[in-house]
Amino acid sequence: MTRPLRFGTRTPRREDPDLLRGEGKFLADLIPQGALWLTVVRSTDAHAIILGLDAEAAKAMPGVAAIVTAADLPAGLGHLPCVDLIDTSLPVFHPVLAGERIRYAGQPIAAVVASTPAQAEDAAAAVIVATRKLAPVLSAADALRPESPWLYPELGTNAVHVTRQLVGDPDAAFSVAALVVEETVAVHRVGAAPMEMRGCFGEVEPGSGRLVLTSTTQIPQSVRAHLAEILTRPAESILVRAPRLGGGFGLKEAMYPEEVLVLLLAERLGRPVAFLEDRREHFRSAVQAREETIRIRAAFAVDGTATAVDVACLADIGGAYGLVANAPGAAIANARGGYVMPNFRSVATSVVTNKPPLNVYRGAGHPQAVLAMERVMDKAATALGIDRAAIRRHNLIPAWMLPLDRGISYSGLPRQILDSGDYVHAFDMTLEAIGYAAFPARKAAFEAAHPRRKLGLGLSFMVEMTAVGPDEPAEIEVLPDGRVRLHAALTAMGQGIETVLGQVVADTLGIDLDAVEISLADTDRIPFAVGTYASRGGAVGGSAAAKAGKALIEVATDLGADLLGVDRSAVEWSEGAIVRRDGTNEPLPLVELARLAASAGRADALRASVRFAVPDTSFAYGAHAAIVEVDTGTGVVTVLDYAVTHDCGRLGNPMIVDGQIVGGVTQGIGATLYEEIAFDAAGRPLTQGFFDYPIPVAATAPRFHLLHLETPSPHNPLGMKGAGEAGFTGTPAAITNAVADALGQDLPLTRDPGPLSPARIRALLREREVAQAAGFSA
Amino acid sequence: MTGVGTNRVAIIVDGRAVAADVEPRTLLADFLRDTCGAVAVHIGCGEGTCGACTVALDGIAVRSCLMLAVQADGGTIVTAAGLAALDGPPDAQNLTPLQLAFRAHHALQCGFCTPGILVATALFLRANPHPTRAEIVDHLSGHLCRCTGNVPIIAAIEAAAGATAP
Repeated sequence: MTRPLRFGTRTPRREDPDLLRGEGKFLADLIPQGALWLTVVRSTDAHAIILGLDAEAAKAMPGVAAIVTAADLPAGLGHLPCVDLIDTSLPVFHPVLAGERIRYAGQPIAAVVASTPAQAEDAAAAVIVATRKLAPVLSAADALRPESPWLYPELGTNAVHVTRQLVGDPDAAFSVAALVVEETVAVHRVGAAPMEMRGCFGEVEPGSGRLVLTSTTQIPQSVRAHLAEILTRPAESILVRAPRLGGGFGLKEAMYPEEVLVLLLAERLGRPVAFLEDRREHFRSAVQAREETIRIRAAFAVDGTATAVDVACLADIGGAYGLVANAPGAAIANARGGYVMPNFRSVATSVVTNKPPLNVYRGAGHPQAVLAMERVMDKAATALGIDRAAIRRHNLIPAWMLPLDRGISYSGLPRQILDSGDYVHAFDMTLEAIGYAAFPARKAAFEAAHPRRKLGLGLSFMVEMTAVGPDEPAEIEVLPDGRVRLHAALTAMGQGIETVLGQVVADTLGIDLDAVEISLADTDRIPFAVGTYASRGGAVGGSAAAKAGKALIEVATDLGADLLGVDRSAVEWSEGAIVRRDGTNEPLPLVELARLAASAGRADALRASVRFAVPDTSFAYGAHAAIVEVDTGTGVVTVLDYAVTHDCGRLGNPMIVDGQIVGGVTQGIGATLYEEIAFDAAGRPLTQGFFDYPIPVAATAPRFHLLHLETPSPHNPLGMKGAGEAGFTGTPAAITNAVADALGQDLPLTRDPGPLSPARIRALLREREVAQAAGFSA
Repeated sequence: MTGVGTNRVAIIVDGRAVAADVEPRTLLADFLRDTCGAVAVHIGCGEGTCGACTVALDGIAVRSCLMLAVQADGGTIVTAAGLAALDGPPDAQNLTPLQLAFRAHHALQCGFCTPGILVATALFLRANPHPTRAEIVDHLSGHLCRCTGNVPIIAAIEAAAGATAP
């Protein structure tokens, strides 16, 4: 009898019992006794020259162990990295501590270390920084004006990074188009705002002298490599570990000054040094996301065929590069999403401004690109008098065209070959789930009963790069008690990776889930890997785990034959045991094999180390639809229903995938309707905490209608694609389109940045009324 | 060290008596974590907005980041680690019915906000054993969760309330 497979089932999560009992072992729970505490002195100016710094009084305060400025840092210390620069990128790197020039409010200026967090904060408050304020540059458009100050005067420009793509002949297509639709989509700045803030601590390992960083990072292996460069030390002398994270979402796919500082200071002071961010600090020192303006033009034939797209993206990246410079460019290159659109041109320009660095957040640049394209589809449908669903269906890539090479390439990322799926089918499933056909009647009945309130239905279709390579390592070993431990490079951050990897290993070996242990994110075990991002953990980590399991079966069977004194061909692996092919004796289970191996001094043989090479990127896709209610009196937008049909290949754990979709959609709702990181006219952050950064709560949750297709990815043995970012990616477009449907496609919802807040909706409606009264508008 | 600038605080945390001298400005949340070792108390904002640090103090849900430790002197505190005291007997894995409902409904992902929600919900269900969905949604207004989208949390509480119904 064969053991039922765990893969594909709603296996309860293995991480839950610890987390439910409050024993999650988050970073703050692991700080060693006797650690000193780091507080960072941050700039209160957005743009300034540091004239002088007086820390003498602060140094004399109780408990203070050290105060360090840029001048005290080791000569030759590097800056924070950016991983996807191209030849023409200009050097705008983030220093560990600001030297002469301050480029955003919140930028680290000095490090204060004391015996307690309170003492460190007290002393930090006593550090006096004298500055000469400079005019701040607070938008990408302003940064490009001729009279704008330059953040890096030596560069002579604020535009620091440009990427371009060209496919086919868009100009020819535009010249014969029946309709050209143009749209401006301004996307405001938001933050991932995980419930656990950033934190890290540094130690010096007794004996070896290695520097040990424990950090809330999604990329411990990359952080180790970057630390080696910044500190100019051999990577072998550095070890990085990530505990379970209380949410990541890309905010922890970054490198932060504190990760360097705690190591330098732990080494200098001979004691562990710890840093825990507070929430006010979080909104000025953690990376931020999304802020960009997209101008999109699309050419349509009279039957609604989109023949060309021309898209320009201007991203406001803040005062220096984040870890990833080209998220806007990579995503805008994918702006066509699931639509054929044979001719394509894009240009993405990154501009420095006096704000905190921009980096990736769930979906990276994709949600903005999808929003721009989907606004265009609605506008084209309106102009051509074609049904909104029909024009999308007409332009979606039919299943027979897949795989389809989009002719796009970008630095450091693989080719863009849409691999598999049935986009039209997924779209139709979503139309059915949201009640598209019946919606006009629902809208009419509702609006007749509620004169001040409007209903709207919005559609979107998203395709995104997931399960990216280049490769993923895994190690597996049999413990003396016969249980199996898998070591993966990935970080656990709520996505259930411990469960999914456990399912894969248990299935591969034919053993109980309880007999599998998962160990994660420790560079002492696995020093080289790329990290946990781009919806890659389950698919590529799972594939590596399966490969490790198979390798273990081989070595275990070899060893079993040897220890039993039989020919290798006489035995095989079955259900977690070595069995004789002729069935002449009892199976030798793994626990017995481990015991035999130990007594024979060969326990070390029961292990394997593998690397799963990812042949190509898997493209997940989904069709979203939202129904919203808008109160035209108050301006309040309420999301009533939300439908998603998603295809992330085979579902390793459908419960976890559904959780990712619902959670992602919810974050997308937050970014579209509620959240904004705002700055005053001097560039100081107005966003101080959750009081003024309202994230979605239970009361704002819509009814969800979730559906899946399962088209296996051709690029990994499990057939999985990524699901982590899919929810967010289609949401701003579906919600915005729904509001436009409710209030009129002419309302310029995306002309200006900012969430579709009640105040903004009321202002837009009033603006239209005034224009209409004046006879300005059609 | 007892002396100028410290106060004696004696409390019971999940059944364990703890007494220590603290600076008057010490927050209850920090005291619980750093002095009492109650790591189930999670600090998500430090300003009373997220609810992750919620504990039961003498049977009332409080945000331990908004109280001083000295204010809790003499009190009895329950955290998520001792949820059985509020929610009923745990199973072999030391999970109470409410915790099991959260697990069954995938009502936690990263789990950082979860302890505060569990404590507040256990108290809520004691006061209102058969809440409507609207009452559950209202109850959750004091808690932020960034991962789950909140819908599974509502479902888990509905299930827990149903399971304890007569």
